Amino acid sequence: MPSSDQTITTIIATLGEFLSSDQLLTSEEELRPYECDGLSAYKRVPLAVTLPNTIEEVQKIMRICSARNIPVVARGAGTGLSGGALPDENGIILGLSRFNQILEIDEENQLARVQPGVRNLAISQAAAPYELFYAPDPSSQIACSIGGNVAENSGGVHSLKYGLTVHNVHAITIITSDGDLVTMGSAALDRAGYDLLGLMTGSEGMLGIIVEIVVRLLPKPKETVVLLAAFNSNSEAASAVAAIIGAGIIPAGLEMMDKLSIQAAEDFAHAGYPTDAEAILLCELDGSSIQVVEEKDRVTELFKSHNATSVQTATTAEEQARLWAGRKSAFPAVGRISPDYYCMDGTIPRMELPAVLDKISDLSTIYDLRVANVFHAGDGNLHPLILYDANNPGEFDRAEEFGSEILKTCVDAGGTITGEHGVGSEKIDQMCYQFSDDELEFFHAIKDAFDPKGYLNPGKAVPTLHRCAELGQMHVHNGELPHPDIPRF
Amino acid sequence: MSNNTTQQFLEEQVQDALENEQALNIQGFGSKRFYGNTSIDGKTLDTSIHSGIVTYVPSELCITVKAGTPLKELEAALEKNNQILPFEPPHFGENSSIGGIIATGMSGPRRAYSGSVRDAILGVKIINGFGKTVSFGGQVMKNVAGYDVSRLLVGSLGTLGVILELSIRVIPKPEVEKTVILPSNQSDAIKYFNSIRKAGLPISATCHVDEEVHIRLAGSNTHINHLIEKKHWHCMDGADAFWESIRNQTHTFFSDSDKPLWRMSVAAASSPSVQLDNHQLVEWGGALRWIKSKSPPNVIQGVAKKRDGEAILFNGEMAGVDAFPSPEKIMFELHERLKRKLDPKGIFNPDRMYKGL
Amino acid sequence: METHLSPEHKDTSDGKLAESILRKCVHCGFCNATCPTYQLLGDENDGPRGRIYLMKQMLEGNDVEEKTLLHLDRCLTCRSCETTCPSGVEYSKLLEVGRKVAEEKIQRPTQQLRLRKILRKTLPNSERFKMLVKSGQLFKPFLPKSLKKKIPERSTPSAWPTSQHTRKMLILDGCVQPAIRPQTNSAAANVLDKLGVSVIKADKAGCCGAVSLHLSAEEEALAAMKRNIDAWWPEIEAGAEAIIMTASGCGVTVKEYAHHLRDDVEYAEKAQRVSDLTKDIAEILLAEEDISSATTPKTLAWHPPCTLQHGQKITGVVEALLTKAGHTLVPVQDQHLCCGSAGTYSILQTDISQQLQVNKLKHLTANKPEMIVTANIGCQTHLQEDADIPVIHWIELFTD
Repeated sequence: MPSSDQTITTIIATLGEFLSSDQLLTSEEELRPYECDGLSAYKRVPLAVTLPNTIEEVQKIMRICSARNIPVVARGAGTGLSGGALPDENGIILGLSRFNQILEIDEENQLARVQPGVRNLAISQAAAPYELFYAPDPSSQIACSIGGNVAENSGGVHSLKYGLTVHNVHAITIITSDGDLVTMGSAALDRAGYDLLGLMTGSEGMLGIIVEIVVRLLPKPKETVVLLAAFNSNSEAASAVAAIIGAGIIPAGLEMMDKLSIQAAEDFAHAGYPTDAEAILLCELDGSSIQVVEEKDRVTELFKSHNATSVQTATTAEEQARLWAGRKSAFPAVGRISPDYYCMDGTIPRMELPAVLDKISDLSTIYDLRVANVFHAGDGNLHPLILYDANNPGEFDRAEEFGSEILKTCVDAGGTITGEHGVGSEKIDQMCYQFSDDELEFFHAIKDAFDPKGYLNPGKAVPTLHRCAELGQMHVHNGELPHPDIPRF
Repeated sequence: MSNNTTQQFLEEQVQDALENEQALNIQGFGSKRFYGNTSIDGKTLDTSIHSGIVTYVPSELCITVKAGTPLKELEAALEKNNQILPFEPPHFGENSSIGGIIATGMSGPRRAYSGSVRDAILGVKIINGFGKTVSFGGQVMKNVAGYDVSRLLVGSLGTLGVILELSIRVIPKPEVEKTVILPSNQSDAIKYFNSIRKAGLPISATCHVDEEVHIRLAGSNTHINHLIEKKHWHCMDGADAFWESIRNQTHTFFSDSDKPLWRMSVAAASSPSVQLDNHQLVEWGGALRWIKSKSPPNVIQGVAKKRDGEAILFNGEMAGVDAFPSPEKIMFELHERLKRKLDPKGIFNPDRMYKGL
Repeated sequence: METHLSPEHKDTSDGKLAESILRKCVHCGFCNATCPTYQLLGDENDGPRGRIYLMKQMLEGNDVEEKTLLHLDRCLTCRSCETTCPSGVEYSKLLEVGRKVAEEKIQRPTQQLRLRKILRKTLPNSERFKMLVKSGQLFKPFLPKSLKKKIPERSTPSAWPTSQHTRKMLILDGCVQPAIRPQTNSAAANVLDKLGVSVIKADKAGCCGAVSLHLSAEEEALAAMKRNIDAWWPEIEAGAEAIIMTASGCGVTVKEYAHHLRDDVEYAEKAQRVSDLTKDIAEILLAEEDISSATTPKTLAWHPPCTLQHGQKITGVVEALLTKAGHTLVPVQDQHLCCGSAGTYSILQTDISQQLQVNKLKHLTANKPEMIVTANIGCQTHLQEDADIPVIHWIELFTD
């Protein structure tokens, strides 16, 4: 719904009545830096960027935009990898970066009340004096905001043991599409009624705007040990993963990196990774000292029996931080070996790991693009990074097609197109592959209930049935072709 | 009936109900019929016919079952592979179905330490308000494609659809579990819970009742024995039976009074109430407080609200008092809007959760 | 990142440099997390990732106006982002190119131009600056409070050592430091004298060129660099072991002479030699073994200047020297963030600079140190303006 120039002028004038020039950006040059989030392959320039300071300002912005049906795209730190904060050309960006205060650390109840723009890592830093921490730790935790984490239901290397964002949030306060303020959840562990908190988590800015969050903090484990095992093949590493979980051990983190990513990460972090290995596994065990020692011995045994060529053990905090630094900076570190990369996020049942990795390697040959694999092996959450050069014409299109094939492989293996990055703009077409029309309609019904006008982050996360039909992505449901009435090309 | 047939049979009944605008009262074995508002109309839709384990690969830490599968059967299958449900659900009767657990969202003693039903749900298959069968989520731990419908259905009391199938995350069974008891009044117990929460001990359940704190520890044999020895704790005999009585509410606390049973879910560290008579049972490290009381509902709900929580009438509505307190206006509107969009004809368990929903 | 520089810039030396840097950026946004201005203002345009974007647009030939200049001006050049960046983006080098191009394309308001010119003419000229400071000190009692705190206390340096050793090192006197804190360099000279090294000043050397560089007067900066090289060259030929820097802001610039003069046929080689010989005083002492312990150990808060930790990537060295000498260092939150001094920034971007200084002092004094030690004259004076405890260069602690 393109807005007329006059509407735009009116909107901007209205917003300008209560937002300062530092809070309302409208010049082309200042809007450009907002044209994309962490996924720079997708770009759109918004009409304006707003940077409110208070909840009241957010409410005013929402009411103004709702009344005139101006799309509102919420944005935290802009580190998302699925284009969830990609602007709408006819809409505004609602930047929540100024909401960056930690409001309260409740030591006894082990909760932190924070604003959405607070960086993920800053919560753990603020909780550290109380010997507490916030468990979900996406690789971008130094920069990504907690509001974005809730909107995407982010995971991280520790979600195997400590869960995703949804398992670690107690309450959120949101502004509804009508501009009303409402709190979902509380300091208690549950309450009657629909789990709207759960529904909002991972809803990608489509159902409301989060303005305050209460997260759960956990006591820092007494003892932590990180093991690094090197393998001669991806499949040996993958079977070691299945063996550990099968043995009833749930590590705090269990991560896998392949040769290319080992090399890239080592170059930046100097973590001491064996650069000649085909794959490495990083396994973090935490808990009481007795338990950690017991598990460490068992995991070491399992590594060895699955042909690990070497096993290193990091016991000091410094050694562990160094090993993790390589893993956590692995994505951007790939920027050193390739001008661009395209990150996938499919999740599969663990037992499918070897087969899917083989398939990815085959596809890499077919599409003639390199792939670096960095992923949360413990949860079966893959992050193949497809390396390409955006300056070479056609290369991104090839990367996209390759990515799409990987995601379909994941769905076919009984998994999903996205484990933690969200659908955003990027994987919207693959949604047609994973879900039937009835299922997509169910999603649209939820959206309708929360945002009848459809002005919150429109066009993201859930494709229209029409789009799916045009794409010809047949989710063959009960042997029937969906929408036989829509012409196909 | 074969599996496909039971699903079809249920689909047909929903389609009939839609056609006739006939409300349905969805029920498995009826073990949790007491929960929520009970004075409701509707034709019974029996889901216990749709039963059985669909897939279970223990190394995947996930089990997929049909909603009518008896809890006993499910737990026995897990037990064989040294696994358990993380939320230790109550059975409340000889026969109860896993579907009922999902619909009521009921978790047991382990909940505060290894997560709730909603934390463990990975995927659902339901018959929706249009008579169509749809699936959401899946069998993998991480899945953020589309809205989290699986979690929305947990605790929705059957008001949004008929649950057909579900995938749940399971966890390894601890090598040993031992329970220690310490004498304490309720106020000290709350403080004690706070201190052990901070210490990060390997706890799998806590309970304060009859002036005693019960702490169930879980882990490896060496670890737990070492801990008990170091703390000079006293181990409890018959611990399994005790936790069973808490989980299924057969403990004398639940049976020896004619006062209504209130379930108060509050901030764990909040102080005990002096306003209410002192017959309380505390679980979940202080976060769950069962109260037998004849105090007026508004007093009890006020006490809970002050502790950032909520009190519900656990054994269903009383004369003039709904089972669950009505949420604030905007929250209720969101419930209504969601219900209208997902069950436009209003056939699924009307009024069971909130009157008028 | 995808880049398509406009024909105007595509084949220039600066353009090629800019493109190679831009291509390394993967737009992850990690840099914003440690950017002092982004943390304060929350605008993508006020963080490194956004500024990179602004420069990219400009170099790709898009129209730019004063907003681009505003956001580039707001950058402290603290280079915290470079430390954080996993992709190895050399942001400050890109910024130099970006600022130069922006100055050419965008007209500054006259008032701004005048102030920037005054700064360029006074600060790098040590005699003029000394006069200014002296008259300020003389009239200090009559000045309003806000100006008063800008005038440093009068101080007397210890005598320069007179003994002649065979080992010789040059020291940069710089422009601002001799007027405000002459004892820093005399302290360095005395410490090294005890270690058997004579420290010599080259009379004709002066400002390192940083002031002009930050104000985008490249020609002026290059002239200063060449003058210093000429001034030092005879001593270098005569065997001076190193060129010592006691202000990390100057140190980072001199270490980059080789980069700035890379295309200068006459000076490129000499500049490389100078850059190689340049060492911060901490690096010099690290190599010396016989460092005496402090007679009176102190509780200190250490403020690592950005030019030291991010610019020169020297971390942990001063901390080790101080601890070895027997001092105690208190923990300081957000040590990676800039204090807001940043050369002329404190004068040109008063509001942001002030906020950063307030935050920095809060963190530095949180654990009750006796004094704050740092390694750059800019940070030192900026923090001292509002600090209740002394702020000194750490080398001065080694003279007692």
